[in-house]
Amino acid sequence: MSENAGRLGRRLSRILLLLPYAIQHPGTTAGELSRKFQIPKNELINDLNLVFLCGLPGYGPGDLIDVEFQEDRIYIRMADYFSAPLRLTPGEALALYAGGQAIAELPAMEEADSLRRALVKLGKALGADLGRDEAAAIKVRLDNSPERHLQVLQRGLSEHKQVEIEYLSSSRTEATTRNIEPWGLVATLGRWYVVGLDHLSGEERMFRVDRIKTSRLTDAPAEPPAEFDAERYKGAFIGREDQTVVTIEISPQAARWFEDYYPVRAARDLPDGWREVELLSSGDRWGATLALRLGDQVRNVQPASVLEAARGFAEAIARRYN
Amino acid sequence: MRRIERLINLIAALLDSRRPMTAAEIRTRIAGYQTDNVEAFRRSFERDKAELREMGIPIEVVKDEDDVDAYIIPPKKYYMPDLDLQPDELAALRLAADAVLGVGDEATAGLRKLSLDAADDAMSAPHVVWGADVAAEQPLLGPLLSALLEKRPVAFDYESGDGKRSSRHLEPYSLVHRRGNWYLVGRDVDRDAVRSFKVSRIRSSITPDAGRYEVPQDFDPDAHTGVEPWELGEANDLKAKVRFDEKLAWWPQQNMPRLPLTDGPEGSVEVEMPVANLEALVSWAVGLGDSVEIVDPPEARRHMLDHLGPFLAAP
Repeated sequence: MSENAGRLGRRLSRILLLLPYAIQHPGTTAGELSRKFQIPKNELINDLNLVFLCGLPGYGPGDLIDVEFQEDRIYIRMADYFSAPLRLTPGEALALYAGGQAIAELPAMEEADSLRRALVKLGKALGADLGRDEAAAIKVRLDNSPERHLQVLQRGLSEHKQVEIEYLSSSRTEATTRNIEPWGLVATLGRWYVVGLDHLSGEERMFRVDRIKTSRLTDAPAEPPAEFDAERYKGAFIGREDQTVVTIEISPQAARWFEDYYPVRAARDLPDGWREVELLSSGDRWGATLALRLGDQVRNVQPASVLEAARGFAEAIARRYN
Repeated sequence: MRRIERLINLIAALLDSRRPMTAAEIRTRIAGYQTDNVEAFRRSFERDKAELREMGIPIEVVKDEDDVDAYIIPPKKYYMPDLDLQPDELAALRLAADAVLGVGDEATAGLRKLSLDAADDAMSAPHVVWGADVAAEQPLLGPLLSALLEKRPVAFDYESGDGKRSSRHLEPYSLVHRRGNWYLVGRDVDRDAVRSFKVSRIRSSITPDAGRYEVPQDFDPDAHTGVEPWELGEANDLKAKVRFDEKLAWWPQQNMPRLPLTDGPEGSVEVEMPVANLEALVSWAVGLGDSVEIVDPPEARRHMLDHLGPFLAAP
């Protein structure tokens, strides 16, 4: 769809939504419509003036949509066929349904029951009568993230308290204890992460909930930022300045799935079918573990410090097998 | 006349009309189309139909009594059914719309349709500290969901894990999001078996196949997607024993509750895992560091050393 067509589609969708509202609420005002549908008043008036020219074949006085302004009040008649909104598009339904299923898994969510009831109704509206289970048509499965940690983290979030966690960071073999100020919970790459200020490093960090060994709510206050923009943490990635740029070359086989699972920042195909990918790693350890997991499907690991770390890990693991 | 007016006229006419209208009727009767140039009409009508269908407006084609294609928008399929959503349920959906990442605008647009009558404060955004990235911006999900809900078979080109491309014919049963990816589960018509397809590996658009189908009563989407990477593969009926040393004994206790755990030497915990892919098992174990050791079978241990080979100094 061209950009222009996209704009036209959005405008038309908006008109097909505000008409039912105005028809059902005769005497509504431009101010109310503008607030409710979050569009500037002048655009709203343009929309209504446009509707005024449309209607049914014949296009006489009895066929055209009748828009009447009485001072500030708006009356729309002769458009009964537009008196109810258009059903959800598949994209709208999927966004609501999948998002709802994901957060319905949070254990300490007060609204969980309401949400589940709403999703069942939404499923019925979609016609998803797949036998006994309306929910079978779309299913969001997150890896089992320990509920007891999610619960503690949610309390920390709602009560603005620090949480003490024992955490196994990637490629460490022992969990380290730290206090974090939780800012938010983000489900990405199929798992829950907690985002927050890590007192151990003094930095903003993202922690995988399944790698938390223990969690405890403390009395120490937390000061989360006023706005939490979860969108920043898609792909389990925090755009900090001080990260290591890791470049590796991956085999044609690995290239087929790699970018579905790892936040690749840049990539290019090499003449022999391998692919060079660039990722960000906080420190060398994450990149080293990633390279090591790929085994002979990876070559040319850069920078040298990451390769060195990977060799160190390999030696340590191999000792158990010799 | 502007195109948007013509589109509104088309929707109004096809929605209000008691019987389907042929292209000739649309050309001569609907304002904005009226022209003697049949070819020019055909082009704009095709474009308009595609645009409206993309917005989710159900324009259907039926044969009229003279066997000519005729068009109608069935009111039942156009209008949002009354879901009788209670205020608390709408508020909960508001949370879902705010939490879903990447497609928040679409979720909000959908919510507006659902809450046309709700008081304004039901729509005001609460302070949400969750986000859920469900990769819902993939463009093929919409058409796949439509097909699935209408139970219409589909065809597409698919690239399997080994890089081979083939044309597939499927009766879609379910869309499952797992490990950050969407999978389409359904009956592969050519193979007459339920298969799962990663949506990101579909290499064509989705085209409809003829006919309708039913989803079997005993269909369970989890049975086809709830597997770990090491359970997918060619190796038959292998059982691996993996030991977590004292420092990491909590890991399987917390994260692998469905597998049999036993106490091992020196405070370790051993877990028995069904395995069909040794490489995936080895790669997973490497990611957990040197506190984890595959104890059994011997071929998995050899596989581990081979895997680490490129990173080990020559003896």
